[in-house]
This record gives sequence, C-alpha cells and structure tokens, in this order.
Amino acid sequence: MAKKIFTGGSIAFVAILFAWSAARAAEMPNMDTMKKAVEKGAQKVMQTAAPSPTTKAAQAFEKVSKELYPKAKQEGNLIIYSVWDVEHLRAITDAFMKRYPGIKATYWQGRNPEIVTRVLTEFQGGQASVDIILSDNAPPVVRAAGAIASYDTVQRDVLLLHDPTMATVSLQIQALTYNTKKLKPADLPKSWEDVANPKFKGMVALDDPMRAGPLSSMLAGLKEQWKDNNRFNNFVKGLKALGVPVHKSTSAMFRLVISGEYAICMPALLHDVMEEKGKGTPVDYVKTVPPVVFPRQAGIYAKAPNPNAAKLFAEWAISTQGQQVIDSVGRETSRKDFKSKTSIESAYPKGTKAIPVSDKLFLEDPKKWLDINVKPIWEG
Amino acid sequence: MSFSRSGSTTHWNSIKLSLRQGTLVPLLASTVAGAAIVTPVLIVLWRSFTTGKLGFSVGLNLNNYLRVFADRDILPMLGNSVFYAAGSAALGTGLGAMLAWIVARTNTPGKALVELMPLYPILMPPIMKNIAWILLLAPRSGILNGMLQQFFGIETLVFNAFSMAGMIWVFGLACVPLGYLFLLPVFLSFDPSLEESAYIAGSKPVHTMMRITFPLAAPAFLSAFVLNLLRGLRSFETPVLQGTPGNIKVFVSRVYDSMALEFNTGLATAYSVVLVVLSVITLYFYVRATRFSERYATITGKGYRVKVIDIGPWKYVTFLAVFLYFLAGIVLPFVVLIVVSMIPYFDYDTFMSFPSNAVLNNYYTVLKHPSFVTGLYNSLVLSVTIAVVTVLAGIVMAFTIHRTRAVGTKIFEFIGTLPLAFPPLVLSVGLVIIFLGTPLYNSLWALGIGLFVAYFPYAFRNASGAIVNIHKELDEAAWVHGARWRHVFFKITLPILKPSVGGALFYIFVESIRNVDVAVLLTAPGKEYGPVTLFEYFRVGQWAEAAAGGVIYLIILIVAVSVAKFAFKMKFSL
Repeated sequence: MAKKIFTGGSIAFVAILFAWSAARAAEMPNMDTMKKAVEKGAQKVMQTAAPSPTTKAAQAFEKVSKELYPKAKQEGNLIIYSVWDVEHLRAITDAFMKRYPGIKATYWQGRNPEIVTRVLTEFQGGQASVDIILSDNAPPVVRAAGAIASYDTVQRDVLLLHDPTMATVSLQIQALTYNTKKLKPADLPKSWEDVANPKFKGMVALDDPMRAGPLSSMLAGLKEQWKDNNRFNNFVKGLKALGVPVHKSTSAMFRLVISGEYAICMPALLHDVMEEKGKGTPVDYVKTVPPVVFPRQAGIYAKAPNPNAAKLFAEWAISTQGQQVIDSVGRETSRKDFKSKTSIESAYPKGTKAIPVSDKLFLEDPKKWLDINVKPIWEG
Repeated sequence: MSFSRSGSTTHWNSIKLSLRQGTLVPLLASTVAGAAIVTPVLIVLWRSFTTGKLGFSVGLNLNNYLRVFADRDILPMLGNSVFYAAGSAALGTGLGAMLAWIVARTNTPGKALVELMPLYPILMPPIMKNIAWILLLAPRSGILNGMLQQFFGIETLVFNAFSMAGMIWVFGLACVPLGYLFLLPVFLSFDPSLEESAYIAGSKPVHTMMRITFPLAAPAFLSAFVLNLLRGLRSFETPVLQGTPGNIKVFVSRVYDSMALEFNTGLATAYSVVLVVLSVITLYFYVRATRFSERYATITGKGYRVKVIDIGPWKYVTFLAVFLYFLAGIVLPFVVLIVVSMIPYFDYDTFMSFPSNAVLNNYYTVLKHPSFVTGLYNSLVLSVTIAVVTVLAGIVMAFTIHRTRAVGTKIFEFIGTLPLAFPPLVLSVGLVIIFLGTPLYNSLWALGIGLFVAYFPYAFRNASGAIVNIHKELDEAAWVHGARWRHVFFKITLPILKPSVGGALFYIFVESIRNVDVAVLLTAPGKEYGPVTLFEYFRVGQWAEAAAGGVIYLIILIVAVSVAKFAFKMKFSL
C-alpha cells in the first residue's frame, strides 16, 4: 500500500515538475528566438540611426545637382517637348530657370501622336532637336524606337512607380467618377467591374477601349493585377454589353458627364475631378474604388543636344521643389512621400492599393496589346 | 483666237507669240508653287512604301497598302464619310450660294445689315461651333431638348447632336463661308444681258434664276462644293466629338488611328491615298463639268451694270433667310459660348439660371495666360503674309490653266487641290522631312511654307472658279494690241478678280490665324504661334475657359471686320 502511495506520489511529482517545466519553457525564449529578437532590435536601432528614404533622396539630389549644374550651365539650354498645358509648362520651366540660372528652358507643346511623330521623324533624320520628352503615353513608345537615352534617377527610392530608364515625374491617376446630381451614393458602382453591371446601361460614358486612352490603360492595369483571363474577358464583355457609345476625347466625355448627359465617367483623371470639385461642379469620385495609376515620365532624348541639362531637369522634377511646382499646377506628384490633395494617400482611404499600369507591351505597343487582349472580345 | 492659229504663221512665230501671251513665266511660277505642294506629298507617299511602325525602314514593299485593302471596315466607313461630307458640302455650299445671290442680286431690305450678316459667322472657328452645337443639341443635357421639355412638355428627345443629321448640320454650317465667298464675286460681276434676254422672252424671276443665273455660277459653285467635300472627307473634329458617341465611324479615323495607336505614318499615308483617289474622281467630274469654260463666261468685253432683281414681297422672305442663317451661324452658338464662359459649369439648370450665377473668373484665367497675347500677335503677322502670297500664287496657277497655251496644265487642277486630300498631320510629316537638317527647320519660313501648302487649295479653287467667268475676249483684245502676259494678268485679270481676291484673302487670313493642325509640327520650341491658348483649352476640354477665350477672340475679329468695313470702307467681296 505504502509502495503504491509512493509510486503514485512520485508520478504526480514528476508530472507536476514536467508541467511546470513546460510552462516555463513556454514563457522563456529559446536561443533561436532570442537571437532573432536581438537581430530585430538591432535593425530597429539601425533604422533609427540611418536616414529615411526622403532624406537619402534629398542628399542624392543635392549631390547630383551639384555635379550636373555646371555642365548644364555650360550647355545653356533645355528643350522640352510635352503634352502638358502651356500654363503648366511655363510655370515649371520658370521655376527650373529660377533654381538654375544660366539655363534657358523652352518648350513645344503637342498631343501624344504629334510628339511621337515629331520626335521619331527628327530622330530618324539625325536631328539633335530636343532634350526631354515629358508626357504619359509618348516616352515609352519613343523608347521602343530607340530614341530615349536610359537614365536611372538617384531618387528612385521615393517614387511610387519607378522605371530604371526614365524618371517618373508625375502620375496620371484615373478615378471612377460620377455626376452627383445623377447618382446617389447608395447607387454607386462598388468597383471598376461593377460599372459593367446592366443596371448602369445608358448611364455610362465610356472611353474608347480600342484607342491608346485612359480606358485601355486601365484594362492593361486590371489584367495585370487580376491575372485571371476569364475575369478580364467577362469584364470587357460586360462593358460591351452595356451598349453605350464610346468616346475618343476623354475631356469631351468628362464635360458631358458634368452636363448630365451621362452619370458615370469611365474613367476620368483625378486632377480634373479635384479641380472641378473645387469649383463646385457636381462631380465626385468613388473613393472606395482603387485608382489606376499611369506613369508620366521625363524621357531623355537619345540625341539630346543638352544631355546634362536634361538629366538635371529630370532630377529636379522629382525633387521636393519640383514636385511642389508640379502639384501647384494641379498635376499629381510621383513621390510616395509627397502629400497633396491629389496624392493617393490624401484622396483615398488609408491602405488603398493603386492599380499600376506597367505592362511593357501595352506601354510600348498599345496597338499590339489591344489586338491581343481586347479586340477579339470588343469587336469579335 | 483665230488670228493666232492662221496657217501662214510660222512655227517659230507661233512659239514667240505663245511666250508673249503668257506661257513661260506663269508656267514657271505655277511649277514652283506646284513643286512646293507636290514635294511633301511625294515624300509621304514614298514613305508609305518604305516605312512601318515607329517610322522604321522596312524596305520597298506594299505592306501598308495590303493592310488598307484587307481592312473589312473600310467600305462602311467610306460610305459614312461620303454621306457626311457630301451632305455637309451640299448644305453649306447651297446655303452659301443662296446667301450670295440674295446679297448680290436681290432688293432685300436692310442692305448694309444683309451684307454683314453672312460675314460674321466666318469668324467663328469650326471647333467652337462644334462645342456650342453639342451643348445645344445633346440628347439628354442639350439646351434645346431641355427647353422643349420645360416649356412645352415634350418628353421626346427631338434633337440629337450625336447623329449623322447633327454632324451634317454642324459641319454644313462650317461650309457656308466658302460657298458664300466663292459665289458672291460671281453674282456681283454678272453681265445681266442673258437674264434680260430671259425676261424679254417672258421668263419669271425665279425661273430665270434657276435656268440662267445659277447654271452660269456652276464653276464657282462646283469649286466651293469640291473644296467643302474634301474638307468633309478629311475632317476629324466633328466625327470625333459628334460621330463617335453616335457610333458613326468615318474613314479618316483610320488615318488618325494609324498615327495615334500604331505611330505608323506610312500606314496613315496609305489610308490617305484612298482620299486622294476620291479627290481625283471628284476633280475629274469637276473638270469635265467645266471643260467648256466659255459657256460660263459672264464677264465680257461689253460694258454692263449689275442688275438688282426686284423680287417683290419675297424680299422679306430673303431677309428672314439671311437673318435665320445669322442666328444659326453665329448668334445662337455665340450666345451659348458667352453664357458657358460665365457660369461655374455647364448643365441645363445652371445654364438657365444665368445671369444670376454669372462669374468672370474664366476671362481672368484666359487673359493672364502666358501666351494668349503674344501668340495672337505672332499669328496675325504671319497670317497676313500667307494670305497675300497664297492668293497671288493661286491666281497665277488658275491663270496658267485657263489663260495660257501651255500643254498639260490641267494637271495643276489636281496638284493645286492635292493638299486637301491629306490630313494635316500626315502632310506635316512630309514638310518636316523636307526641312530637317536645313537652316529652315524650326524657322518661321518653314511654318510659312507649311501654311502656304495647306491653304493653297482654297486660293487656287477660288481663283479657278472665278477666272472661268471672265471671257477670253478681254485677254485677246489686249494681245491684239501687243500686250504681254504680265499686262493681261495685272491689268485685266487681277482687277476683274478683285472681289474674289478680297474674299479669298479674308478667308485664308481668318483660317490661318487659327490654324493649329498644320502648324503644330512646324512650330519651333519657344515660339508661340496662333491663339494656341484658345485651342489648347478646347483640346484639353476646359470648355468654360475655351468659351471665354473664344468670346474674346471673336469680339476682336468682329470689331476688326466692322471697323475695316465701315471706317476704312474695306470690301470683303462686297
């Protein structure tokens, strides 16, 4: 009996001891865990000590600016071809010339097809005519023809969309826009896909998906993000099934939405919407639908007569000062750390993930991309 | 004519006489003008066989043309284009001819007003008309449908800007000025003896007008019609703004897609060649229809006085017709633009609330634009020069065709009209290639030559249509008295063509001052040309600012024309 009691007592003691040890083990970190914790802590300390990407970019910009300015000043000129409004170009070049005295900046303004045609004709004719091509659709196309000199900005870490061959100085942000007199918040589309819902038949102003315009770039962005051909095809089929007329002029389409001819603009540019909202125009955008972002780049012409001035301009346009000027004329900035009313962080709820357009084929040969991905559904 | 063809004249004498009567100099001048036109065209044609996407050289092949001919949409698109262009040209030229007849030949009351009313709509650029009429005729948000609904309870959407009828109406209105300016000099210089003969024979005024007056004006009418037709075939703004939303596809969009989507000027040119073929067919019929030019000679050696026809009570109807055109051509779109320029944004309710919601900030924005004033000044200087040079060259070429003995001059009929078959961007590429690598590139000269090529067809067709109306007996009388070609040209032809010259100068000046399409590739960086501001606002879709700029621009031109007309007694074909 006593033996039984002793044995039972021993087992209970061992069990209690085991349980206590297990509990302690759970509380105490093992060596690996401790090592990881030490590394993590060290990283935190190092992060605190190292400069932020903003500071790093600022330092890199100051350095490259000091290197390039004397050479650019010697060149004396900077020629820009751009699709941007003359008012914007004037403000930007004035600010650049003020920052860098001794460099005379001039510009020529045309539409994207005109820019591409002019640059390529000059390039193939051996003309050293332009330094910077500042636009959205044109630079990648010009690059595909070999007329862009690759340049990777030193401020790459602060950019939302980085291209190692051309500086992304601004973004084209597409927003799902509607006429506030025509649609109540409860009736709004919940997503880009929802626009293809048959209940919006007759209400949608649709950009022509078969041209190199905002809708086709949105389709390129969505296809890349979804990675689901069926979903993409159904979306395009849904848009076609709406049976609504398509528009070749995004700006005219936007005006018709404001006038009440249509209720939904598929799509509109965020800076246009913000500007109109500021005037009290009855338009707004659906904040819960993630925006589509397209890079606006400053490509350096391969036969640029003033290559240092071109590099200096590209860097300056990304710098905090350059971005301030770009923001002041109402265009979206390209830096992650630059807050403005048209930046995604300000205009959309926290955590909104933008849909980037980065499909190389689409950017460089929109016709081919559309022929493969959209034409069979849209015109089939 | 018989004296120069007598059998006794030796071959050498015949050549000498031919030279004296004007062959060499006009032929040479026409050849130079023709070369300026043909060279860029030949360059782009050559590239259509040798270049592919992004302007890459692909060797000599027919790929671009094979693609054009394999395009299964080409025929329906061409059908739409021809219907739209012919409809607009018929409406515009017909209306222009009617207005010219009313102004020149009838006793319509309020002469000074009637003379001016058809003139002002010319000043309004077509794109401004487009925007204004879209705002008026849009199905759901348009002002006219809104008014019908609000004041008459009509729920049906009567007007539709995005339809073929809407397109023809708007572009047709833009075609009226050419019809008017081409026909007015003809009616003003009419020898009334034929009409008088008809009256003596008992014909009534309307019958005489239909059987005598209008057939005699056929060359000028056809000239204006051909120009308007070709303008319609290659016009892009109206099809883009009104046609695309109405699912009406026109042929020229293929040309632009080739440039804007594929960046392939070779393919764009191959598509343009279809327009060239259409132009050749049109011109063939024009040349055939006017081949017996003597039939249309209304200005002869006999003295005459233009007779104004008393149309009785119909004169009030004609006044109303001119007034209605004045309303549709400028008043209505101008009022819309004024209101749009002063309201915060356009929709029907906001439009109807005017003037309680009037603001002037759009005018402030336009006036402080960095290039509004400089651009306007630069283009004013260039446009005056271009108008003078182009009109003179056009008359010389028309003179070469109709008044010299040189063989094969009919080819100039085609060459002189050729630039109209090419969309401006395609033509500009040819011009850029010519000037690249020369000191002319990026200079005002290159821009000037570009504008010359672009507007030559207007000057030429205007002169060609008018010169046919001058009987050759006037030239022959001069030759008999030993005159040389320059005497005939400067002392007979040019003075008689004065009304036509005035009209063409005015039209080309007004057109070239607002040209963006041809000028865009030829403008040097840092050199603002034209009221780029105004058109930039249209291009980027800032309609309120565009309307404000348009109102300022129109007021300047209207004041200039009125001052020229009343203070300096300047004649614009009147």
